Amino acid sequence: MGPVTMTLRRGELAAVMGPSGSGKSTLLSLAGALDQPTEGQVLVGGIDLASLRPAVLADLRRRTVGSVFQDFNLLPGLNARENVSLPLELDRVPLHEARAAAEAALGRVGLGDLAHRFPDDLSGGERQRIAIARAFVGTKSLLLADEPTGALDSVTGERIMRLLRELCDAGLSAIVATHNASHAAWCDRVLYLKDGQLAGSPDSVSAAGGA
Amino acid sequence: MTVRNSLLAILSGQSAHGYALKSTFEDSTAGTWTLNIGQVYTTLDRLERDGLVEGVSSDDPKRRTWQITEAGRKELSGWYEAPVLDDPPARDELAIKVLLAVAADGVDLTDLIQRQREATMEKLQGYTRHKRRADPDEQLPWLLMLDALVLKAEAQLKWLDLCEERLRDRRAR
Repeated sequence: MGPVTMTLRRGELAAVMGPSGSGKSTLLSLAGALDQPTEGQVLVGGIDLASLRPAVLADLRRRTVGSVFQDFNLLPGLNARENVSLPLELDRVPLHEARAAAEAALGRVGLGDLAHRFPDDLSGGERQRIAIARAFVGTKSLLLADEPTGALDSVTGERIMRLLRELCDAGLSAIVATHNASHAAWCDRVLYLKDGQLAGSPDSVSAAGGA
Repeated sequence: MTVRNSLLAILSGQSAHGYALKSTFEDSTAGTWTLNIGQVYTTLDRLERDGLVEGVSSDDPKRRTWQITEAGRKELSGWYEAPVLDDPPARDELAIKVLLAVAADGVDLTDLIQRQREATMEKLQGYTRHKRRADPDEQLPWLLMLDALVLKAEAQLKWLDLCEERLRDRRAR
């Protein structure tokens, strides 16, 4: 990956587009502190992530960043509520609190009535909604979505983008890597990556403001 | 041809005078096609000449009301049955520009493609903002028109990606 400068504001929904191998997934990993740059800095709220001790970084990552994948990555043996509450339970949040937060998150993605259903009993769109609820449940403020609509039909994919739009309008920040221009168009900004570098005019790829 | 058949389609629902036809046409094309009232009257005159519509008595003698004839319904039914073929294809300025740029010296094709990509994406974002506000029950025609515009813009973006890939392949050989 080459030099890339980007700022994501609170409440912003950004799309990253580009051919396979252009660095979209790498950019998401760097933004979410899942990977470290060989050069340069990743700042969250003005703090350089490289300056943090590994335990602090892991804590920040766990409490701040949620990920959504093309194939949902839900645990088939857990129902919707258990899938969503699991990250909180692993973070030692008391069970009743974790479950209440999971139910609230499922309500926000429109699946409050399906909390007890298992992934295999749900449609692709519903499964992705659960995955999104799991990604922002608790204190998380940054959502990284790698091809979140890749396994869904056009109308369902559009519903997922509409949901992400609503969540970001309510204060979440998100970066979506996608090949689908119609879905990228739901975002505030669209960044084009080519050979690990941002393509295009600076105005189209940068924005002022804190992360 | 589209205006002619569209007026027949509107009149197949109910009789109308010229101005109402203009408004209904513009509403059903989601404001993407503005009709000149003169064009409406010229088209109605031709439709009357061909026996496809006829004037009927109206409460307002200054405004002529039109209704579709049996021959008009037959013509309309033929239009609905015939697939729409873009043949010959409509002229595509962007395609022509890129083709000429490929052959020209001194044009930075990568820049040209990227500028176009950003401009088309901006349009796509505009259509998407309209889609967000559209009520799928109350504004279905508008939503379908937006879907068509979105998919055309998306096709253009895919074509630009393909142009870029082919140019990269050519440079690599």
